[in-house]
Amino acid sequence: MKIFEYLSKLDRRIIYLILAVVVIIPLVFPKPQSVRVMEPARKLFNAVNAIPDEKILMIDFDYDPQTQPELQPMAIALLRHAFTKRIKVAALSLYVQPLGLAKAALDQVTEEFNFQAQTNADSIIYGRDYVFLGWQPPPIVPLLGMGTSISNVYKTDYYGNKTDTLPLMKNVKNFNDVGILVSVSGASAPLWWVAYSQTRYGVAVGAGITAVSASDFYIYLQTGQFSGLMIGMKGAAEYEEMVASDLKVQGKRKASEALGSLTAAHITIMIFIIIGNIGFFLRRRK
Amino acid sequence: MNIASDIWIWIGALLTLCIFSFLYKDNPFYKFAEHLFVGVTNGYFVTITFHRVLMPNAISPLFTQGKIWLIIPLIIGALYLTRFIPRISWMIRIPIAIAMGYIMGTAIPATIEAEIVRQIQGTILTPQNFQAWNAGSIGILWSIILFIGVVCTLSYFYFSREHKGVLGVTSKIGIIFIMVGFGAAFGYTVMARISLLIGRLQFLLGDWLGIIQ
Repeated sequence: MKIFEYLSKLDRRIIYLILAVVVIIPLVFPKPQSVRVMEPARKLFNAVNAIPDEKILMIDFDYDPQTQPELQPMAIALLRHAFTKRIKVAALSLYVQPLGLAKAALDQVTEEFNFQAQTNADSIIYGRDYVFLGWQPPPIVPLLGMGTSISNVYKTDYYGNKTDTLPLMKNVKNFNDVGILVSVSGASAPLWWVAYSQTRYGVAVGAGITAVSASDFYIYLQTGQFSGLMIGMKGAAEYEEMVASDLKVQGKRKASEALGSLTAAHITIMIFIIIGNIGFFLRRRK
Repeated sequence: MNIASDIWIWIGALLTLCIFSFLYKDNPFYKFAEHLFVGVTNGYFVTITFHRVLMPNAISPLFTQGKIWLIIPLIIGALYLTRFIPRISWMIRIPIAIAMGYIMGTAIPATIEAEIVRQIQGTILTPQNFQAWNAGSIGILWSIILFIGVVCTLSYFYFSREHKGVLGVTSKIGIIFIMVGFGAAFGYTVMARISLLIGRLQFLLGDWLGIIQ
């Protein structure tokens, strides 16, 4: 029994070290993990798949480097999905911090597709296939303003081009031309899109969220306010899996590669919790 | 092993290690990285706000396009700075009142509709809600559990009567639902935090040291 008492008083730095080792080993020696796609991610995938030709996918990048490991793979998988299906994309952000990450995701996926493209029609071209609207504060302005006119809210895009001169934007006037808006967010942005844009203009909203906020957002999936949901790194891996298996798109799958480490870390933490509880009850019995 | 030659990756990796060093104990490396982060973030935010908000929306139209009326919101916005002058610091109430009035006016109806009305609709036992679970005939069971959970949890937060009798039973069931909710939230929190650690280690082992692909 002394072992449990010793373990329950273990220096936290040793626990950190154990966790680091447990996370690193599966990264260095990876084993393929099967990804079981859950209903929330499948719904989102189907909703994006069902976007009609004349409508676009709007992606709201609302995360910063703090939540990048969970959310950037979601955004990349979404872009791969859209570009494979030739769905037009408009990207934007409600905050200033995500601009760099949004640009990095757009550049990466565009480069992946253009590397394999053989003709101009196969290529992903800025202005024709996607636009990056950038950032227009305060958030309430795009949330409500785009219901009337997108180019009035974003007069220029991220690169300083006049928005209404971009070919893609010629047929995209307001939320009526948006098939679904997917908010990839480390904060409350998906809820804002539901509360303001969906309530007032009826735009369909999907979300990619951090695992820590999952229990806050699940309720909106059940009511149908979210068309689909990606939750944390697991949700990102599920979307990557669907893009790879259903659409046969190749590319680096950072979230899927991390699942081995995630599983190992979860098992380790569960063991720590069990040991800690046994130690607690043993000490109480004394 | 293919160590990065990009100087920015090295800077990112060394700053990551500085932050990680806090796991051992507080130290000057951690403090350096923390202060640098705060400074860079503020500098970035101020600069980009000036160039992407103030310039295109206010200063440029005012001085180059002659939109004189823009001087009114500029002055109202500038009243925030009166906070630094004690004699006229009361004037800060003007922009705060305008901002609060606008935000509350737009937020209240939207929040009531999205977060109260729609959530109540989603809790009511209707055939449409049974189908929302995509669980076939079991959907009705999930809807009933949800309904019981909502009612019992709400009863736990009813403090105007002592929790005895029927209220005592429902509030105790409510506690069970609350605890399950806490457990789920904690589990998701663990997943989120470990994911962030994995992300950093992927950067250190992959982008920096080139140990992993």
